[in-house]
Amino acid sequence: MGLVARVVEAAGIPTVTLNMIWRYQKLVGMPRIAAVEHPFGRPYGDVGDRETQSAVLRAALDVFNTAKEAGHIEHLPFRWHEDPKETKWHPADPSPIIALMNSRRKK
Amino acid sequence: MSPESNTPSDRHEVDAWRFTGSFLRNMLSKAIPDEPAYGGIPWTPVSKPLSESKVALLTTAGISMKDDEPFDMEFERQNPTRGDSGFRSLRGDATASDIAANHLHIDTGYIERDLNVALPLARLAELAGEGVVGSSAATHYSIMGFQGVDSSQLEQESAPKIAEALRNEEVDLFLLAPV
Repeated sequence: MGLVARVVEAAGIPTVTLNMIWRYQKLVGMPRIAAVEHPFGRPYGDVGDRETQSAVLRAALDVFNTAKEAGHIEHLPFRWHEDPKETKWHPADPSPIIALMNSRRKK
Repeated sequence: MSPESNTPSDRHEVDAWRFTGSFLRNMLSKAIPDEPAYGGIPWTPVSKPLSESKVALLTTAGISMKDDEPFDMEFERQNPTRGDSGFRSLRGDATASDIAANHLHIDTGYIERDLNVALPLARLAELAGEGVVGSSAATHYSIMGFQGVDSSQLEQESAPKIAEALRNEEVDLFLLAPV
């Protein structure tokens, strides 16, 4: 993901990455990050919440203007409307890698 | 990792682990090095105002047009440490009814109801209509975010093709969003 941003940026097109796990910056080195505290699967906002979707989009686009040096991280001020305990984002079945890890832990 | 969420601060710092749970937090944290793992960060200065820029979006949600080949989930089921390294082109006027979402690490049901939660094409078109951005590109992109132990094909094959397509369409700004 961040890898794609790096390749596109190096090819001459400025990029912003809207990112929940912005701490991966040390691993990847993304040119511009807009960090957002939203659950996996819905980075721009919830189903039907046009206002938040539009506001997050605009805030992420603004980072093209505010970022002045490579690696800039802008923390967006949005707060998710549900408590993490009530926020459902997991798939119905564990992903293959999680299922594999679970089976190894049980052994 | 220090508990930044408990640290008094003038501005809100995003808690990267707010929705992960402790198991996933520990797993994901282990991948983060103490020192930057890359040699340098590429940088291209922005060359024109947002209001004159053509913008394209990318999502990692494994989205394909219904008339295109879907991302290959069977490959990942057979190879749990690997993921489909391809990419798909998406039309700028696509809505939830036009697309398939294939990603085994999230609940894709939200995207299937409202594409804008992960790929806000309708919102971008509105911003173009309001003159906030110059235009929305005709083509947008998806990859499938889980690459497991080997992201080399994504980096060396798919990403350069996406960059070439963006250049051919004269896209000015590229906004990517992992899911």
